[in-house]
Amino acid sequence: MTRYARLYAYFLRFSFSRAMEFRLDFFFRIFMDALWYGVNLAFFWVLYRHSGLLGGWNFDQTLIFAAGVFVADGFHMTVFANNMWMFPILVNKGDLDYYLVRPVSSLFFISLRDFAANSFLNLLMALGVLAWALIRYPEPVGLDRIAIYLALMGVGFFINYTIHLLFLVPVFWMHSGEGLRDIFFTLGSYSNRPDGIYRGWIRRFLTTILPFAIMVSFPTRVLFGGNVGEILLHMGIVAAVAFGVLLLFWRLGLRAYGSASS
Amino acid sequence: MTPRLFLRIAGVEARRRMSYRADFWLNLVVGFAAKFGLLYFVWTAMFRESGAATMGGYTLDSMLVYYVAVLLVSQIIIGAGFESEVATDIYEGGLNRYLVFPTSYFWFKYAQRVGMLLPVVLQFFVFGGLFVLFSDATISLSGLVMCVVAIAVGHLLFFTMSFPLQNVAFWADNVWSLQVALRLTTSLLGGLMFPVTLFPDWLQAVNAWLPFHVLFGVPAEVLVGKIGFAEWLPAVALGIAWIIAVGLLDRVVWRRGNLQYSGIGI
Repeated sequence: MTRYARLYAYFLRFSFSRAMEFRLDFFFRIFMDALWYGVNLAFFWVLYRHSGLLGGWNFDQTLIFAAGVFVADGFHMTVFANNMWMFPILVNKGDLDYYLVRPVSSLFFISLRDFAANSFLNLLMALGVLAWALIRYPEPVGLDRIAIYLALMGVGFFINYTIHLLFLVPVFWMHSGEGLRDIFFTLGSYSNRPDGIYRGWIRRFLTTILPFAIMVSFPTRVLFGGNVGEILLHMGIVAAVAFGVLLLFWRLGLRAYGSASS
Repeated sequence: MTPRLFLRIAGVEARRRMSYRADFWLNLVVGFAAKFGLLYFVWTAMFRESGAATMGGYTLDSMLVYYVAVLLVSQIIIGAGFESEVATDIYEGGLNRYLVFPTSYFWFKYAQRVGMLLPVVLQFFVFGGLFVLFSDATISLSGLVMCVVAIAVGHLLFFTMSFPLQNVAFWADNVWSLQVALRLTTSLLGGLMFPVTLFPDWLQAVNAWLPFHVLFGVPAEVLVGKIGFAEWLPAVALGIAWIIAVGLLDRVVWRRGNLQYSGIGI
């Protein structure tokens, strides 16, 4: 475990020094994410001009939810996104070999190798928006609820990472992973809307099989009096099953991997 | 550039685009269904929870018809997979070969972009046709013609707006973020996220003079019969005026950027 922590510290150091080589891109990314936050807030602002509730939540509650979406996105962009982007390229070019011969878990190395230092600033900005949304919320929210919320958000980050990689693993068998990658991003937008809007079998599907609807919505429910035990159990089971399926497909994929000919 | 050369470049690009069939069909079916599904849930919840019969002049049904139209239109206007090609040419030095071609780089790239349209135009007619067949929506011939003209203007305008942003690659290492910023802004103000009639009046008044509405909103609104010839004509004229204005900016940025270009990549 210490070895992995030390290795990750090297990843961080290397990523920060590399990010500073591309300074304009560094600021462009910050600008882009800030704009994304603004556009999302504007989206909800316009919707709430026409309805008092959306998915059972009022504007103040949705603001906290939206801030949670920014934090989740910021975390994913910072820790995983660059690595997920590179993974299909590594497989197709045969460069995965470099990762497989290392004396550490290939999944760890591929998932965490590149830390996006520029997105890290956006993560801090997103945390600021979340703090602002929580402070301006008119009802009292206990510190215990906030602590559980943050812990569950962590589970949501993990589920998001797992599902993202599950969408990319088929690249071991397919020549191009672009189609599935694009579909992940399209389906990912289901996690950017309150889960209360989904009804019927789609709701069951989005909270179990493809659990986009639980990543941010379920932790947010805890802040507004949701049943902690039920939500914790649900997210825990989904995270464990999704990771189990990922490990299974990862091993099958590595077996199918034929170096440069993949 | 001669029309013949333009069509040849477009044809080569169209064949290249159709060669990735698995990705194409995955995006065609799942991508569209997923995007429309999300909008369906948002708007059914909005109408259910507000109890309103109309919003911004749309009933729930007409809102859903609008979204089918605007999603299909946006696939054509934005296209796919082109955002970084100009920037990549500059960044990797691939621009060299285009500079010695006896034709305009801008129009060469635009011809390629037109060639990329084949898959999405197919999508437009497959899903548009199916939707008209299985819903109460009616599309008039005049509406379809005005829509196609608005799409043509919007398509060139989007490319013209995207071009100077990509040319920033003459000075910067990565301009992907700027392309995403363009997409975000145009989606919000162009009517892709929701009809622009949902904006407050003051924002609608400002937005009427900006280049965004003609990109997505105008083609979709004219197709579903929300606006007629009287509203369509000034909107399209404004779009053309913006193409000229932004086109002039393109020339300035392109010329200044060329002075920076070393030809060996950055």
